[in-house]
Amino acid sequence: MNFWEKITGSDMTKEFKAFETRAKKLPADYQAAWEKIKANLWTHSDFTGRNLMPILDGVLGLLEETAADGQSVHEALGDDIKGFCSALAGEEGAKSYRDKWREQLNHNVAKKLGK
Amino acid sequence: MLKGVLEGSVLEIISRKETYGYEITRQLNALGFTDVVEGTVYTILIRLEKNKLVEITKKPSDIGPPRKFFAINDAGRAELQRFWEKWEFVSSKISELKENRL
Repeated sequence: MNFWEKITGSDMTKEFKAFETRAKKLPADYQAAWEKIKANLWTHSDFTGRNLMPILDGVLGLLEETAADGQSVHEALGDDIKGFCSALAGEEGAKSYRDKWREQLNHNVAKKLGK
Repeated sequence: MLKGVLEGSVLEIISRKETYGYEITRQLNALGFTDVVEGTVYTILIRLEKNKLVEITKKPSDIGPPRKFFAINDAGRAELQRFWEKWEFVSSKISELKENRL
């Protein structure tokens, strides 16, 4: 990632487009699940969303594999997409921007108190 | 609780032979964990991978994208042994409690 990409996020836009092209090839029920996963993962995003990129890539790989196996998306992911997403984000150690703000706040308070 | 147990079970399955997500899910289903889906196994596999307990090879499959195969490594074997020791302890203590021999 160079400076230009860091500032504009152009690398992510490109990556995102590639993800969407891959997603378009999935069966319809998988595409619906993909939309849901994206919506649910977003809460685990850091400020730019860059931390989600490898996770999304992995999930898309899983969807591609299971779709090729001929499984329904329900067989592959179950009912709890929200839980699946938080498990994913948790295992990947993705910090959300809320975590960052919380850290910052704690740090500032500690500093004010002279600790 | 089930999560830790599943993680150990997945590691045990991998230790027997190199395998992949779908096969692991099927084995767990056959064992009686019927509500375990591939997504669950996937998050466990990511964790094992991140903790460097497994080795990964990508192999082309006859259908669709290449599959990720998982094989256990030395760190994984040590972890698996710890898991079974912990499990022995927990299960013996729980049955002790159940039979009220305290």
